[in-house]
Amino acid sequence: MIHTRPDRDGQEQLGLLGAAWEEAVPYWQDEVARQFDTGHWTPLVQRSSTYLDALGALMDLLETADRDTDF
Amino acid sequence: MTKIHADIDALKGFHEAMVRFRHVQRSVAERGDDEIELTRAALAARASHWQARLEQSQAEFDACRAGPGADCSGYARAVEQAGEQLEHIRGWQQRVDEAAGEFRGSAGAFWDLLQNDLPRAESHLLALIADLEAARRAS
Repeated sequence: MIHTRPDRDGQEQLGLLGAAWEEAVPYWQDEVARQFDTGHWTPLVQRSSTYLDALGALMDLLETADRDTDF
Repeated sequence: MTKIHADIDALKGFHEAMVRFRHVQRSVAERGDDEIELTRAALAARASHWQARLEQSQAEFDACRAGPGADCSGYARAVEQAGEQLEHIRGWQQRVDEAAGEFRGSAGAFWDLLQNDLPRAESHLLALIADLEAARRAS
């Protein structure tokens, strides 16, 4: 079984969602799109990134804790 | 994809990506919590192991010292080593608890995003798509 870290899977999914957003943006350039960007999209990306960065740092710490106490 | 529906199709594609994102990130968050608990359990098991080793080494050291004129330095080193390992593990237990505690804030905000804000954004997007489709049908 391939074991991947949850933070890396999360970052990958955030990248995929970003790509879907980039595909939609050229077709969606009105005021409603700008409101969706500022009201939903930008906060979603910021909060997801904050969480995934924190999760990554925690996974690093957990891996170190495991290695450093495995004697 | 016909040109006239390209905008609607692109928004539908984005909506589907948002739904996928929400489902996958829920699993990510759950796995993150699982990793914390697995590490805590592993550290607790190791601490328990070295606590037992320390007690056993101490008993052997005490038994040695109770005897006449024996060299007990090997037992003393074993006690010292077990104590150091146990202290080292307990230090990590404390660091993991502190880091997990700090992480709870980010995790809570992310759960709130997944449970409330993201479904709201998805609904908003669906409504926009429905409006576009209705306008397209009317024209």
